[in-house]
Amino acid sequence: MESDNQDSKHCHESHDHKHCLEMFKRLSEYLDNELDEVTCKDIENHVKQCVPCFSCLQTLKRTVDLCKQTANKPVPQAFSEKLKKLIQNMPKTTNP
Amino acid sequence: MTRATNPNRKKIKDKDFELVQAINTDQPELFHDLVKRYEQKLYNFSLRMCRNPSDAEDLVQETFLNVFRYLKDFRYETKFKNWLYRIAASTCIKKRRRSKFAPERELSLEEFIPKDEAEAQQQVPDWALKPLEKLLNEELANKVHQAILSLPDKYRLVIVLRDVEGFSTAETAHILNLSPSNVKVRLHRARLFLREKLKGYFEHGER
Repeated sequence: MESDNQDSKHCHESHDHKHCLEMFKRLSEYLDNELDEVTCKDIENHVKQCVPCFSCLQTLKRTVDLCKQTANKPVPQAFSEKLKKLIQNMPKTTNP
Repeated sequence: MTRATNPNRKKIKDKDFELVQAINTDQPELFHDLVKRYEQKLYNFSLRMCRNPSDAEDLVQETFLNVFRYLKDFRYETKFKNWLYRIAASTCIKKRRRSKFAPERELSLEEFIPKDEAEAQQQVPDWALKPLEKLLNEELANKVHQAILSLPDKYRLVIVLRDVEGFSTAETAHILNLSPSNVKVRLHRARLFLREKLKGYFEHGER
């Protein structure tokens, strides 16, 4: 495996580096704590040296945070009433 | 004949089991309580899966009709909520198949790889560093909603279940009848797709 210094050099010259691409594929699993300890450490060491990968990780994390923050809308009253009527007209048993 | 129970089955604790049992035993009128418990969640799930509120209402209605129809088959082997979403997702997929003819767009990992030095960001952008509460506003919430809606269905289902509804990878795999690794692949591509949309919004003001 190449050293971190070499990684850093590659990352800053071009982001099309094999190690960067390997990281790129696993960033979601990293954010979700779904990787083994060795792979996690590998990613952490890599992003310390590689600004584009660090930036990629942070923007991806923020994207996930924003999805988690999406608020729920209330159910329109008219639709809630419609559902209620629909249920009232259902059969009186769930058995066949 | 009594149904054989699997001795290896894990005992699931679920706040809904009692209500479901009552409905299935002799109190079908309590189905309304189950609907009240989940109508808002299902309505919002449907708003994220359909492009207009009227279709979302149809999806909720059809889902609850299917839940009522199949409730007697519920085996108490998963949480009721997970079973409910399994029915909602399958109702949604069937509705989509009925109304669409064009094949769905596939997202490839390659399309999201920064192509060159200019695209690979040399510093972390402001929108990823600011405290989240300083970033959130109605316009951004709307942008995130629109970005989710612009995802192809199969990726949208996964990201909505995982990142919006909060199901685990295993639960999402069960709800959608996919392998966990397939869920992970779709989730990563969906997140990268949304990330591109958000980058466009923050960096170039794309609406």
